[in-house]
Amino acid sequence: MIPDPLFDEQRLQEIHDLDLLSSDVDPILQDVAAEAASRLGLPVSLISVVLDEALHVAGMHGPEGLWLAETRGHPVEWSFCATSVRTRDAFVVENAETHPDHHDNPLVTQDGVRCYAGVPLISSRGFVLGNLCVVGLEQRSFSEADVAVLRELADEAVRRIEARRVA
Amino acid sequence: MPPMTSFPGSPTMLAPDRPPPLAGYKLQQPTESDAVAALHRVFGAERAAERWGTACRAAGLVPGMVFGAPQLEQVVKALSAQGGATATVARSIEIRMRTYARLASQATLMAGGQR
Repeated sequence: MIPDPLFDEQRLQEIHDLDLLSSDVDPILQDVAAEAASRLGLPVSLISVVLDEALHVAGMHGPEGLWLAETRGHPVEWSFCATSVRTRDAFVVENAETHPDHHDNPLVTQDGVRCYAGVPLISSRGFVLGNLCVVGLEQRSFSEADVAVLRELADEAVRRIEARRVA
Repeated sequence: MPPMTSFPGSPTMLAPDRPPPLAGYKLQQPTESDAVAALHRVFGAERAAERWGTACRAAGLVPGMVFGAPQLEQVVKALSAQGGATATVARSIEIRMRTYARLASQATLMAGGQR
């Protein structure tokens, strides 16, 4: 059986070494999230760090009053972003209400998430740290160009994150 | 029967009943058993027990006898101080605790508003 990368000790060590668990929100990552939301025309964007049992929010753009902004994360079993940690590829959900893995996800049933697109943040050491993603409250389709925008911004986010390791 | 946490050489106690999962979110309040299970998944049984035992002692508590959110919070803080991948697992547990507390509080407020 292939081990689940979510529980890979070396990946979790890498997340710690890159100082991704800081309680301070990184303004640069906030800016990347804001640009992703703006360019894809969606209300919410996250720089997520997928831990073993939870998703940690390292950067976020979204409306005031979201509980996610207070908790700075949620249980990993609700996470759309965990898929990319396992596949190392983009993950797109155009209609969460009918998606086989997410139709009963509390973020969908309770909080109204309807669409999602995310690309993995992969460190130079090859570990998937989390995702850059956008989230919307209405179903929509995503083009290859949309995913390309996210990939470009994800590369920028990883460069910023890794610059801190050198610093 | 509620989950039980036992450690060699330490007292074995039944964990007190935890509240039912949050309606809608189906989220359980995290317990010591959940935290130990999380460590186990990453580090295996022996290293998980060693890390948990060290954190409990640093928090002035006994492994297998960590009850309630305030005590669990103390141990998770000590776990975080161990650094490395252990600190990452600690952050996971902390997020689950914070999410439960935030959404439980929201549910209580909504229930109050419906009376």
